[in-house]
Amino acid sequence: MPEPALVLAPRAVTFDWSAVPAHWVPGEPLATHVMNTLHLVLPEGERWFVHVFGQALPHIRDDKLREEVIGFIGQEAVHAEAHQGAADHLAAQGLDPAPFVDQVSWLFRTLLGDRDLPAPVAHQWLLERLAMIAAIEHFTAVLGRWVLRAPLERAGADPTMVDLLRWHGAEEVEHRSVAFDLYAHLDGRWPRRVRTMAVAGPVLLWLFARCTRWLMRNDPLRPGPARLRDAHRAARRGLLPDLAGLLRATWQYLPRAYHPSQDGTTDEAVAYLATSPAARAAAR
Amino acid sequence: MTPETRTPPPAVAPPDLYGRARPDRMYRLLRPVVAAHLWLSKRSVRRGRPVPVVDRDLPVVVSDRRVEADGVVSLTLTAPSGDPLPPWRPGCHLDVRLPSGLRRQYSLCGDPADRASYRIAVRLVGEGSGEVHSAVRVGTPLVVRGPRTAFPLVGPGPHLFIAGGIGITPILPMLRAATDWHLVYAGRSRATMPFLAELEPHGDRVTVLTGVPAAPELLTRARPGTAVYACGPPPMLDAIKAHWSGALHCERFSPPPVVDGEPFELQLGPGGPVVPVAADESALTALRRARPQTVYSCQQGFCGTCRLNLVSTTDSMLVCTDRRPGRVVLDVRDSRDS
Repeated sequence: MPEPALVLAPRAVTFDWSAVPAHWVPGEPLATHVMNTLHLVLPEGERWFVHVFGQALPHIRDDKLREEVIGFIGQEAVHAEAHQGAADHLAAQGLDPAPFVDQVSWLFRTLLGDRDLPAPVAHQWLLERLAMIAAIEHFTAVLGRWVLRAPLERAGADPTMVDLLRWHGAEEVEHRSVAFDLYAHLDGRWPRRVRTMAVAGPVLLWLFARCTRWLMRNDPLRPGPARLRDAHRAARRGLLPDLAGLLRATWQYLPRAYHPSQDGTTDEAVAYLATSPAARAAAR
Repeated sequence: MTPETRTPPPAVAPPDLYGRARPDRMYRLLRPVVAAHLWLSKRSVRRGRPVPVVDRDLPVVVSDRRVEADGVVSLTLTAPSGDPLPPWRPGCHLDVRLPSGLRRQYSLCGDPADRASYRIAVRLVGEGSGEVHSAVRVGTPLVVRGPRTAFPLVGPGPHLFIAGGIGITPILPMLRAATDWHLVYAGRSRATMPFLAELEPHGDRVTVLTGVPAAPELLTRARPGTAVYACGPPPMLDAIKAHWSGALHCERFSPPPVVDGEPFELQLGPGGPVVPVAADESALTALRRARPQTVYSCQQGFCGTCRLNLVSTTDSMLVCTDRRPGRVVLDVRDSRDS
């Protein structure tokens, strides 16, 4: 039986970063920094989502989808600011993320920003970016599901950071169909879906890998270089998603009949949000 | 927060991450990749299709109307064609458009296995429910949308359901689906509490409390690992939230109404049209009448998506919650609103 649509709305979460240690997965600087990359990439990335979705809003001819897009926009905006708080905390601990964030900002605001184009082409550029966002959201849903299940507390990970990641992951699972449905509603051409995934997948991996390397290099605690074998070891402990799983996930996005509602379970996300300290404190 | 708009194509990549005297290698490589996407976008103009209009309206007719308690009626809704209705799960609600055009949301309180009809129950408390009580009869056609859920039942339990008054409606179908559960049902008096007779067969799995029970009394049955599902008046929910640190599911409500507001005016750009904001509405509500494409989300002032700059100041406002005396000129040439 198809799941009835979930009403999407942002949650007014707040996090107190003051007690979060630099290596918040104890003894795992690499796993810490792989997950820290989210704080450097997502604020600008999610602001770009909000900007692009805001442009798509007037074109929507489906009231249900419009409400979902409005809920999505708010959730993404709150995610961006929550990760911004974690990025500011990194800076306060002596690891200033500005050089990396400036590049990310250039990517989303300049390279992927609005261009001075004739109206019909500008509209296609909007659709192209919506397809890119749908591809990226496929990964955020996969990672959201991963983080809901990852044995992070068994490894002694800081509870505030785990709550940030799981609340965020749960909302990604909650709204995992919205970007896909929006693209399908406004355009939906399959070649565009494939080409945007073909680029978004590798570029995201590259971006996150170089971000991890840069964080390890600039960590004032000098944890040593980022090594692939440390990543494999952390993945075996369940502290990082494994590459094979991500590749499989990429493949699953490609069939014409694919729809995000087929993977992941909303129930798991809903169950976490009922216990998340941040989401509970925000409930009104 | 808004990305700069209408920039010319980027001429260079950002500086190298490690201070080398050349533009960053990754971004230099991404430029032609994005240029290819732009070229493909130009090519895509030809075979673009119009966006289909999706109609979500579901016409139904009232096939039964019962008085369930003092001030509470239930309506049974069926499709005029006799077709099966869309499936739903416990915790779902319908958006109901009343004959006057008012829209209200009501929880489904019937049996999810019954695909032929929906049941909702309405307590008389305001304009919308007044219309349901006075003007909706057996045979009245209504238009509904949904079902959707903001209160899904998940997990194996144990579940402790806490209902206050008309808050029993989303809980009733949950009792059919859950296995390990207890219900605490509170109300002012038994005469005002709907569906007591339907709960009779559940025996001592249901505790009925009258008056205004305190949170500890509502939570007597909660144990570590219990998932609490609460639906009722906001003070009851706040008390439960303060006393219970385990899993708590509440239905999420719409933004609070504007109280003690002063009317003011929005001007859409210098020399643009002037939109009056009434005392009892938000600037967002007024702005959306003039510009349906306005971006917003939370309507409670925290998500920031509706922030608009004010012309000829460095000031900005969150149109969902901020109010300004007199008239403000909004900078709505911002491309994301065009």
